[in-house]
Amino acid sequence: MPAYWRGYLKLSLVTCPIELTPATSESEKVRFHTINKVTGNRIASRYVDAVTGKEVEEDDEVKGYERGENAFLFLEDEELENVALDSVKTVNVEKFVARDSVEWIWLESPYYVTPSDPVGEEAFAVIRDAMSASGKIGVSRVVLGRRERACILMPRDKGIVLWTLKFGDEVRPEDEYFSSIPDGKADPELKPLIGRLIKAQTQPWSPALVADPVQANLLALIEEKKKALRRKKVARKKEAVPDPGGKVVSIMDALRQSLEQSNSRKAGSR
Amino acid sequence: MRAQWKGFLSFGGVSCAVSLYTASSASDRISFATVNRATGNRVRREYVDTETGKPVDKGDQVKGFEIDNGQYVILTPEEVGAAVPDSGKTLSVEAFIDCKAIEDTYFDKPYYLVPSDRTAIDAYMAIRDGLREAKTAAIAKATLFRRARTVLIRAHGKGLIATTLNHDYEVRSAKAAFENVPTLKIGGEMLDLAKHIISTKAGEFDPREFHDRYDAALSALVKAKLEGRSLPKRKAPVASRPDDLLQALRLSAGVGSPKTAPAAANANAGARRHKPAARSSETAASRRRAS
Repeated sequence: MPAYWRGYLKLSLVTCPIELTPATSESEKVRFHTINKVTGNRIASRYVDAVTGKEVEEDDEVKGYERGENAFLFLEDEELENVALDSVKTVNVEKFVARDSVEWIWLESPYYVTPSDPVGEEAFAVIRDAMSASGKIGVSRVVLGRRERACILMPRDKGIVLWTLKFGDEVRPEDEYFSSIPDGKADPELKPLIGRLIKAQTQPWSPALVADPVQANLLALIEEKKKALRRKKVARKKEAVPDPGGKVVSIMDALRQSLEQSNSRKAGSR
Repeated sequence: MRAQWKGFLSFGGVSCAVSLYTASSASDRISFATVNRATGNRVRREYVDTETGKPVDKGDQVKGFEIDNGQYVILTPEEVGAAVPDSGKTLSVEAFIDCKAIEDTYFDKPYYLVPSDRTAIDAYMAIRDGLREAKTAAIAKATLFRRARTVLIRAHGKGLIATTLNHDYEVRSAKAAFENVPTLKIGGEMLDLAKHIISTKAGEFDPREFHDRYDAALSALVKAKLEGRSLPKRKAPVASRPDDLLQALRLSAGVGSPKTAPAAANANAGARRHKPAARSSETAASRRRAS
């Protein structure tokens, strides 16, 4: 995986070269190509001049700032690197906060941070281990994709995870959405039952929880098509939709029933 | 306010009517056009047949899976759609996870999860308070916007937030990403100094108060170029040398003497190897050899 960003991590007078790689990727398990239905040939995308319609070489593509109608100021990547902000090249950690003080709703994109040169490995380890030892996470700013974003840095395993954060105007105020929920707490009689249900069904985290049934279905479909090129059609399975409107079952009864079921399952497996 | 999705949240045999509302949206910033340097015209994207070179209509573009060189199994949009399991209109809770055990790198998009009507409120408040009390989040499966999704549900203020999670193959493992980082355990004076520096920088942070300075800096650059002024070059940061690391930490923590910085750092680096108490501050290179 090539680095997405190269620069420096800085804590006061300690500076080390680092690189960021995205923690997520767009790739899918089943890789498709786009095909022309009419000819059966593959389709490729290319860039053409909007006026002449002729193909444009990659070297001829340049970023343009529109200064007037269809009049552009060209900006080369090297020039953009010189924008007068240190956060273009340096993640300077200026503040440390408690681990849970930044709400998850602010998290935008995750990156893995690693030292990019042996010269910085020890400095990197110092910053990482000191964050772990003090139970804090770092707060800084970084320019990615021509935007300066706030970011937080958290030690993880031998590395550091950097999350860029959303801007203030990107998170909608929760009050508008939660206004229909009455103040106060849930029915106290339900509390022990919910507590037991949660306890009974609590699992350790595992990537299996985020497996995608679609990819497996697509592979099966491709296999089927490969074998019998003529036979088509996948029966679409419909699952029953629950009907909570029908009878009003008491929440208490429903929870009790489902706890009994999960208890008997446990007993049976012993 | 329009709900993005309406359906039911089901857990432990209970089901209640809920709606999802997008909790965040991308904001606009200065954008550039891609321009043909040779003509000064805008550039646009075109999809062409690789054999004939002719543009292909949107309706003629289908998904193909390569089975042999140049041979494709074609899947129609209907077939691809049918591969998505139909879980009806239900977010069904399948498990609970300790909040501390969650790998946040899987987080995709947050939604406010809100009861759709009054009959849903008792069950909604019960699961909300239960999750908060147990410091856990619920893992639910649903079909959202024609995709099979796993959703993480947790208590947030008066309500619940449902965050879609990326699938296993969409997230790179931290273990693999950090594979080549050497195993160094930092201790002793270095760790104490770094912890001290962190404590002097401890504070509060509110993301609402953060401002993107990029557009302003970019405007200055654009203006300078329009006026034909030369653009300033930024000074490249200098990485701390391993020999100077301890001294840099001491200076940062306000306990070093700046005048004798390089000499002192080297002298210390030589001396500290003899002191067992400061073993942790050996250089990276020597520790790698040992491990």
